[in-house]
Amino acid sequence: MKVKVNGIELELAPGTSAIDAVFAAGSDVPYFCSHEYMSPVGSCRMCLAKIGAPRKDRATGNWVLDEETGEPQIFWFPNPMATCTTAIMEGMVIETEAEEAVKAQRGMVEMTLINHPLDCPICDKGGACELQDRAYEYGEGISRFEFDKRHQEKHHQLSELITLDRERCIHCKRCIRFFEEVPGDEVLDFIERGGHTYIATVEEGLESNFTGNITDLCPVGALLDRTSRFKGRNWEYEHTITSSLDDASGSAIVLDSRTGRLERIKAELNTQVNKLWIDDSTRFGYEYVNSSERIKTPLIRKGDNLEAASWQEVSEFIADKLAKLAQKEAAIVLRADSTLEEGYAAKNLAKILETGQIDHYPRQLASVIPNNSASLNDLASSDAIFVIGDVSQNVPIVDLRIKDALKGVAPPEMFEHGVPIADLRLKERMIRKKEILTVAAPYNVDLMRHAGQAHIYEANSEEAIFKALTKIANGEDSSVAAMSNEQAEALVKRLNEANNAIIIYDGFSLASPAAAIAARNFANAVGAKEIILGQMANSYGLEAIQVLPSHERYGYAEIMQGSAKALIISELNPANNSQYAQNLKELELLVVHSIFENETTALADVVLPAKSGYEKQGTIVNLEGRLLEVNAAPIDAGQAQDFEFLAASIIAALGKEGKEDLASLAHKAIRKQFGVDSKKLDPEGDLKPLKPRANNKAKLHIQSTNIGNALIVPTMLRLEYIDKNPHLLAERGAAKLTMNSIDADANGLKNAEIVSLDVAGIKRSFSVQIKDSVPAGLWLIPALPEQAIGLLELDRASLKKELEPA
Amino acid sequence: MMDTKIQAFFADKQDLLSEILERYPDYGQRSAVMPLLRAVQDAERHVSELRIKEIADILGISATAVKGVMSFYSTYHEQPVGKYHIQICSTLSCSLAGSDEMYDYLANELDLVNGETDKDGQFSLQKVECLGSCTTAPVLQINDDYYENVGKKRCKHLVDSMRENKLEKPWRERKGDHEGAEKAKPLQKTALKGVS
Ligand code: SF4
Ligand code: FES
Ligand code: FES
Repeated sequence: MKVKVNGIELELAPGTSAIDAVFAAGSDVPYFCSHEYMSPVGSCRMCLAKIGAPRKDRATGNWVLDEETGEPQIFWFPNPMATCTTAIMEGMVIETEAEEAVKAQRGMVEMTLINHPLDCPICDKGGACELQDRAYEYGEGISRFEFDKRHQEKHHQLSELITLDRERCIHCKRCIRFFEEVPGDEVLDFIERGGHTYIATVEEGLESNFTGNITDLCPVGALLDRTSRFKGRNWEYEHTITSSLDDASGSAIVLDSRTGRLERIKAELNTQVNKLWIDDSTRFGYEYVNSSERIKTPLIRKGDNLEAASWQEVSEFIADKLAKLAQKEAAIVLRADSTLEEGYAAKNLAKILETGQIDHYPRQLASVIPNNSASLNDLASSDAIFVIGDVSQNVPIVDLRIKDALKGVAPPEMFEHGVPIADLRLKERMIRKKEILTVAAPYNVDLMRHAGQAHIYEANSEEAIFKALTKIANGEDSSVAAMSNEQAEALVKRLNEANNAIIIYDGFSLASPAAAIAARNFANAVGAKEIILGQMANSYGLEAIQVLPSHERYGYAEIMQGSAKALIISELNPANNSQYAQNLKELELLVVHSIFENETTALADVVLPAKSGYEKQGTIVNLEGRLLEVNAAPIDAGQAQDFEFLAASIIAALGKEGKEDLASLAHKAIRKQFGVDSKKLDPEGDLKPLKPRANNKAKLHIQSTNIGNALIVPTMLRLEYIDKNPHLLAERGAAKLTMNSIDADANGLKNAEIVSLDVAGIKRSFSVQIKDSVPAGLWLIPALPEQAIGLLELDRASLKKELEPA
Repeated sequence: MMDTKIQAFFADKQDLLSEILERYPDYGQRSAVMPLLRAVQDAERHVSELRIKEIADILGISATAVKGVMSFYSTYHEQPVGKYHIQICSTLSCSLAGSDEMYDYLANELDLVNGETDKDGQFSLQKVECLGSCTTAPVLQINDDYYENVGKKRCKHLVDSMRENKLEKPWRERKGDHEGAEKAKPLQKTALKGVS
């Protein structure tokens, strides 16, 4: 379709909005209410332009021609038009610089500023405010409004995480639309009307996992992140773009740091992964890195105490001890969000130490690498989705991308100026195609609200369900737990007939290799692609590069049960488990790489300060098989180092340095394994899905537990840090022990009561949450990194009520 | 905490409820928020938080969304309005024709300010925006009736008559007061069939 913007002719696809035509022509027009990935609504009236189009004669079907020029005559709309809600037409002429347009834009700036306080000097958005910028660019600089401005609440705390300044709100409706259109949680709305309109919620707090995004998208300083409020000014921040290590999506984020402290996290655009959204754990779960309790120097045991030492001293000490060990006696364990570089470093160290006792954790028995992997954009355009497990807590972004699919609008085509500013296919309150989504889980999961079919099955019946569904897919008779025959048949039929069917499963299925194989077989039987939700940011990558024991008898659990004489462990706290703690005490050498002191550092011979995920440089592989860059923000972490540095120091102290350093070895290994240059990754990552290794037979000999009275469930919160994330803690509260009211009554428990419980060796405390949607007899316990998801047998007699603080 | 003693409004009005819901197609059930609010407001002279929640649950939307719609209209109330709900148009035409003075007079006379209800529940005073009857400014709306071209004398007269619980009917001369549009008939279910 041909259009002309400010004299420039363009050829654009039908359906393009006039505002995108303007930007495609390299011109600019101010806007406040339009936002990438949300419906254009035309509420701010800022994007005005003079627009006209030729017209066809009804009778002849020919263009009405201009008598003088003989060209099609342009019929101008009588008023300036909002370009964001106007679709282009053949021959349309758009003038953003015409006198009428300029005058209208100036008028709108003046109008918008009538009630907007001019408190930019004390506003956190100052310097990064769309209104400030647009007022400079398009405003007249004067106001004819001589009266008092509207006064409203300046500090309305919407939640522990977000504050609303009602005077600053310009009623663009972005925040309201976000909640309805993106996560589908309608928790905000305009209250009242006209000049009295304000934003509010009548629910308690903002019940959604994605609330923080409204602080990014508010064009003014009305919605502010409470973790960063009144700290830095926007121009003082160092902005580091990186991939989040909070979960397996690898969502793009910006780290805003200042004077060595991390002070804010915002979402960054990755059109393939998280679009412009992140969940609240990813955004607000960072405060721990600034904690004064961080370990900042290496520590070495002197009697009962740990004393500060240099990296060199401790490396020599470690090397001395290690040199005395025989083959296979040392063990190395990384947390599953370590980078590929750290993974290779661990492998190289293991090789030098001649041990096969190497693992990453948390990790399930079965592989997290799917056979036929779907990308997140595949998911967003899927027409049949079957989820078994809890997506929203495992990887919240997957939850959002499923909701994209329900809208039935495929990811947009990019313009040179980026994501369409106004995608006219998106509407407010679109009808969601719930029928394409079936969700099954052992308890009521959040995504069920959005599903056409939801099924709660008995915990640990994943294998049986997949097998029964496979039978149905193969035309045999079978019955599926928690589903009627019609439902099961309809599900299989839908997946079979879909063009882009996707099956999503998580740790519940991976806890049993047989269930994982059954899942894969079912996906094959119905021709569906798979998404497997790994428990941590680099679960996929560390498995892909085989940071795995040479034999399953040297896995994490076995190491903790005493299979090794020396252990180097990074960012895990196995000694929170009293049984493991006993074994760890027996070790000849325990080296703990950690950010904070904990039960394990208390037993360590050497403690090494670890970098957080915001301070590392490296590469991860997300759940799609996408290699993403992790970049370091300038945060003052003392002498903290990543595992690569740790391994290199030990290798150096052992005198076993090779010709090449670990970094270049890792760089080469990544190229060899994934076929990409890790120093030149695409900013949106490089998709390199792998096949799962076929040699996982050994694992099959291990029986997974198939009995239990408690289920370790995924949680989007990083519970290991929650105590040091004060805002997130205040909003989300302590870890919850969730159970049915029958169980609560039987144990004399009340809602919100604080209890302690021995969870398979780990003493933990919880606040009781009673939910009748949880099957009776099953207690739900949110996972720690030291406890992979799945069923376990709990000693319920260990339950103790904690004394109420007086 | 929900007060369980108060019965759900629609609990004993299932016929009304299904009649209202049937007017809208499946995907548009949330549009029923208006008639549901209206039903509650008419019966209880206000829509309490409890009722907001009830309507939200019926429609499967959030209470915030119901409140958003409700608060848009000055015809729904959070607190019960008095037996006589006096609404003074204060938009331009009426304002030019003297509605501000009329407000002052009523406020004085009834000892109420905008938005208040007296403690006996007799009178509520409320400024509202344009009532769509600018040609007959200034306009008072008392409950559902319009009183038009209201001068000082007449205003006093109306107050007196309400005090005696004998509010007179709107005038009909000079094409003056009218009872609004003819009462809308409830939409026939059959008429809607083709729509969905
Ligand atoms: S709070 Fe911000 S995002 Fe929400 S309507 Fe107001 S200006 Fe827009
Ligand atoms: S009207 Fe707000 S961007 Fe167009
Ligand atoms: S201004 Fe009063 S009715 Fe229109």
